[in-house]
Amino acid sequence: MDDVPTQTLPDASVEQEEETAVADPWVTIVWNDPVNLMSYVTYVFESYFGHPRQKAERLMKQVHEQGRAVVSTGSLEAMEVDVQAMHGFGLWATLQRSGQ
Amino acid sequence: MRAFKRRRGMYAARLDTDERDVIAALVADVAELLGAGRLESRDPHAVAVGDGSPRMRIEPLPPPSDPAVRRLLPDASRDDPQVAEEFRRLTEDDLRAGKIARLTKLWGALTTPVEGWRADAFVVAPQDAQDHAAAITDLRLVLAERLGIRTDEQAERLYDTLLDSPQDDVAEVDEVLDPAARRYLVAVYGALSWLQESLVELLLHDLRAPGRPADQ
Repeated sequence: MDDVPTQTLPDASVEQEEETAVADPWVTIVWNDPVNLMSYVTYVFESYFGHPRQKAERLMKQVHEQGRAVVSTGSLEAMEVDVQAMHGFGLWATLQRSGQ
Repeated sequence: MRAFKRRRGMYAARLDTDERDVIAALVADVAELLGAGRLESRDPHAVAVGDGSPRMRIEPLPPPSDPAVRRLLPDASRDDPQVAEEFRRLTEDDLRAGKIARLTKLWGALTTPVEGWRADAFVVAPQDAQDHAAAITDLRLVLAERLGIRTDEQAERLYDTLLDSPQDDVAEVDEVLDPAARRYLVAVYGALSWLQESLVELLLHDLRAPGRPADQ
């Protein structure tokens, strides 16, 4: 992402976040990219997912610093909707089975 | 060029004719990459991006061969080709249509003067601003792909070069673009980033303003 020094360290909290979602079979992951503005990514997380500012900023930083973040969990169909929305916004998102 | 500010209930930036033409031409280029045809040659009020009925593809759709288009329509799985293929089959037509519609809207806003505003005003209604911000993202993604920006460090170096010495050769060795073309794309990328940042600041501010329906 734009504007801030980068670190790409593998981080345990990513794994944790994925594990807490075992009840939901699928997750949507947003990946870091060098183009999207941090403010824009925060805006997308706040406006699309309805996250409060703090959570949106935490997820944005996680994407930026750790390279990715789980942004939603649910059924395959629900995750397809979220991934499609992220691609509409120009964020690179993928879906995968929870816990993978 | 001046950044977006709130004016008379709208978000307004300033772009002179040259800046406007440059951005509008890029918008048309990206729309064309996505399969829209040439925006200049159509009636902006009669944009056909599909007839509105959901299209259900039966056959798989191969990923786009142009890496810039593939960045706009990326794979939805990194490790499961079946998931990626199925997602592409189900969503790519809609995604393309949505992106083309947003680019067309941005193109219209850039090429249509607004009555009651100065000639260089680029006026965006708050309810259209999210679509414009998304369209500007697509422009920046395509430029970044053409410039070979793959890492955060490369993106930062680009800004540093712009700030320090806009006339110097901004190129790392580039096998595709000549230095003049590269300088031009870097300048457009920098301008769009700055313009988008000011637009997103307004969007975020209004999203967080108390009393919005989204708060409850």
